[in-house]
Amino acid sequence: MATFILGLPYDSNVQPTPDLWVLLALVGLPFAAAAATPLVARALGNRTAYYAAAVAAVCFGLVVTLAGTHGGAAVSWVGPLSVSLGFYVDGLATLVGALASGVGVLVFLYSAGYMRGEPGQPKYYATMLAFMGSMLGVVYAGDLVVLFCFWELTSVASFLLVGHYSDRRDSRYAARKAMLVTVGGGLFMLVGFVLLASTVGTYSLAAMLAEPAATRAAVERAGLLLPILSLVGIGAATKSAQVPFHVWLPDAMAAPTPVSAFLHSATMVKAGVFLLGRVRPILVGDHWTEIFVALGLCTMLVAAILAVCASELKELLAYSTVSHLGLIVAGFGFTGALGSETAVFHILNHAAFKAALFLVAGIVAHEAGTRAFDDLGGLRHDLPITAAVAVVAALGMGGVPPFNGFYSKELLFEASYEFAHHAGGLAWLAPVVAVVGSVFTLAYSLRFLAVFFGERPDTLGHVHRAPWSMTGPPVALAAIAGVIGLGGITAALGAPLAPVESFVGWVVGATLGPEAAGHAASFHYYLPTYVSPAVVMSALAIAGGIVCYLRWRTVRWATRGLLGALPVLRADGWYDGFVYGANHASTRVQRALWTGHLRTYAAWTFVGAVALAGFGYLATGIAVPTAGPTLGAGLTIILAVAAVAAVAAVRAPSHVAGVMALSVVGFAVTVFFVLASAPDVALTQVVVETVTFVVFLVILDKLPSYYGRIERSRAARDAVISVLVGGLVTVTTLVATDASPDAIATYFVENTVEQAGGHNIVNVILVDFRGLDTLGEISVVAMAAVTVLTLIVMRERGETP
Amino acid sequence: MTTVILRTITRLVLPLGFVVSFAFFLQGHNLPGGGFIAGVLTASVVALAYLAYGLDVVEEDVFGREVETAVEHVQHGVVRDYQTLYAAGLAVAVAGGLAAMLYGYLTDTTIPFMTQTFRYATVPLFGHIELASAVVFDLGVYAVVVGALLTIISVVGAE
Repeated sequence: MATFILGLPYDSNVQPTPDLWVLLALVGLPFAAAAATPLVARALGNRTAYYAAAVAAVCFGLVVTLAGTHGGAAVSWVGPLSVSLGFYVDGLATLVGALASGVGVLVFLYSAGYMRGEPGQPKYYATMLAFMGSMLGVVYAGDLVVLFCFWELTSVASFLLVGHYSDRRDSRYAARKAMLVTVGGGLFMLVGFVLLASTVGTYSLAAMLAEPAATRAAVERAGLLLPILSLVGIGAATKSAQVPFHVWLPDAMAAPTPVSAFLHSATMVKAGVFLLGRVRPILVGDHWTEIFVALGLCTMLVAAILAVCASELKELLAYSTVSHLGLIVAGFGFTGALGSETAVFHILNHAAFKAALFLVAGIVAHEAGTRAFDDLGGLRHDLPITAAVAVVAALGMGGVPPFNGFYSKELLFEASYEFAHHAGGLAWLAPVVAVVGSVFTLAYSLRFLAVFFGERPDTLGHVHRAPWSMTGPPVALAAIAGVIGLGGITAALGAPLAPVESFVGWVVGATLGPEAAGHAASFHYYLPTYVSPAVVMSALAIAGGIVCYLRWRTVRWATRGLLGALPVLRADGWYDGFVYGANHASTRVQRALWTGHLRTYAAWTFVGAVALAGFGYLATGIAVPTAGPTLGAGLTIILAVAAVAAVAAVRAPSHVAGVMALSVVGFAVTVFFVLASAPDVALTQVVVETVTFVVFLVILDKLPSYYGRIERSRAARDAVISVLVGGLVTVTTLVATDASPDAIATYFVENTVEQAGGHNIVNVILVDFRGLDTLGEISVVAMAAVTVLTLIVMRERGETP
Repeated sequence: MTTVILRTITRLVLPLGFVVSFAFFLQGHNLPGGGFIAGVLTASVVALAYLAYGLDVVEEDVFGREVETAVEHVQHGVVRDYQTLYAAGLAVAVAGGLAAMLYGYLTDTTIPFMTQTFRYATVPLFGHIELASAVVFDLGVYAVVVGALLTIISVVGAE
């Protein structure tokens, strides 16, 4: 990983601030490269992977150049809302940014072998690059709005990648599921962000992180700590697939394996835990610990049990990822440095071993043609390099010393023990759950390894060696995992792996609470050489794991039985129930609303308008003026004519009579306008009235000549609606014309000639003062025409009933 | 519905309508009128022609084209031109607004979208008249209204 940057003086307090242009280039480059991908793919064909890998490598280089810096950089974006296109660089951003770009390089190289000859490669690489850009955007965001935008972009990219095989039903289902769950969670997060920004007064994350104690105090003063915590927590939990939102991740395995390795183990699902680390300095406290320790440990245990029940490689890895994300969430949940160390170190370790394992699973599936455990075994002779990688990575996953996962799990045990020791009571559940979860973790890790050992089933045909482009990346990842693991041994011997330790320490510093935030923490890890509670817990977990593996059939029978008894663990029910329920409900609503009768639509529209406006009037307690303007004799007569014609229109027996009566109303109103000295409005009214009449004549042939008899109840209903609409319009007119002195009218009268050079106030308002409104109106007119055209053309082509 | 009276009246009204609508359009800034009214008037005059002479009158007599079916009418015929008209109208309206911004950019002043201005000029025959930049926007309004209304009328009429 990014360990070789570590000669830089990042733990001094006078770090240089990052360069805005480097950040813009870092986040913008993948998107630009994604846009260019279709053209590049035309030229390069199957070698597009190397182009994408080169882009990722450049990004990785930029991440490295940023690693010595700390602080924010921003350009103004939405000034009035104090939203800026802001970026923020610190240890946490560097860690996850390095993962996104570094694992990106390896995954693209791997894709060169895995995706060779597959259709849809331009789409695949463009989306992957766009995803990488979004991920880097999330990681380096220094503004809540920017963070949210990129966050949702990662969901969109994930949707496209999970649904890559768009002709398969399960792919489409999985893509929708991933999208709905993560985007839904993102909306909760957005509300949390808005609450946070409204209490603090800025959207700038960089400003909040610069003053975490003050920010926290402001949030607490407003009494919004718990709501913000929960809302942001839901966002993080959906993205990181925590219980009960873990439903989408196993289905997302419908994606091509490199996607699973990249998005669904090393990077995108880390966005959730990244978010927790990001806001941890601001929000950490008692509530924080209660919520996230419970959430994380619960997820860790449930997902570990589900992983044991898995019947194929990728399903096992998916549940295992959920479980390990639970471990990281729990780590961030514990207050103090120990918790942060657990989470940060495990982010690094998990990315290394889990991405390697996914790539291994991809190789096995690609070369052996199956991922089912029952069909696989003894592959070490066919795939020796892959088997070696799997040993290093799977033992790291299982937490076996001296492999890398052991150290972060040891930290978790230590943190949970400390927590229980301090809090007492129910808190003792935390270390117990952590150990039980780890027992299952080791058991399924060994089960994964068993694919390479033992008997080779006869049904397994010839297995090819994988090409170097596919074995190279997992080897590199396993090497990193292995080196981190060896660092523990050398540290026990007195020679710690300084770059890793100081890098992790730097990252940990970025996630500490207000009292210590921003300063690099000193971090050490080593193979324990003495007995401590954590060591005893590890020993228990490993012994339990081995026993479970030896009694595999019994354990799997038991866990499957448990799952059968408690289907709620799989938790698919709530998602399917929600989605199908929503479908069902909308069908029913549609049946009520969409009758095919214009009168239904008109009724709903009018009722809706009356309800909204009426509610507005009631809510604001508007006073209806009683003294209206006085009318002269002429106006009264005209209005009386209009009223008589309106009654005639209602009582008309045929369409022709009705339209005639309506026209009388219209022209009476025109005369009214003329008398009220509004010639412009009158003119418009005349012309519009004429056009309406002509249009009606055009369609007259199609209508029945006489109205049928209508039911009494419907007539009553329509009458009520009409009266309501009329009443509302009357109230609106009275309220709107009551303002005195009428500032708006006076303004227009005074300024029309002077500022716009026109004497026709109405027209000047239309084209000049309120020109933008007119632009909107003519857009609506054009849209109406497009709509009519579309409907007619669709019917001509037989696309609608 | 087509009677000799209607046809005769239509022949008489048609040119009058066009002239009046043109006058409405020009005088809009100072007297009753404007792009919207002018557009509706033009559309209603053409609609009258449709009523009197049938829906193919514009297609055959004005453009000299033959149309077979209703779909063809919509996709290739005069409706296509109406569509172009309202699309162009929207483009003109927006472009007029953007031109103000461009002018501001070129002269190093900040001018918001759709800012309008005017000048007085003396033109032979017409004397002292006002030239308002808003006329560009009004032209857009006119085109959109005419294009959209005629699209709707002819498509619905063809049904």
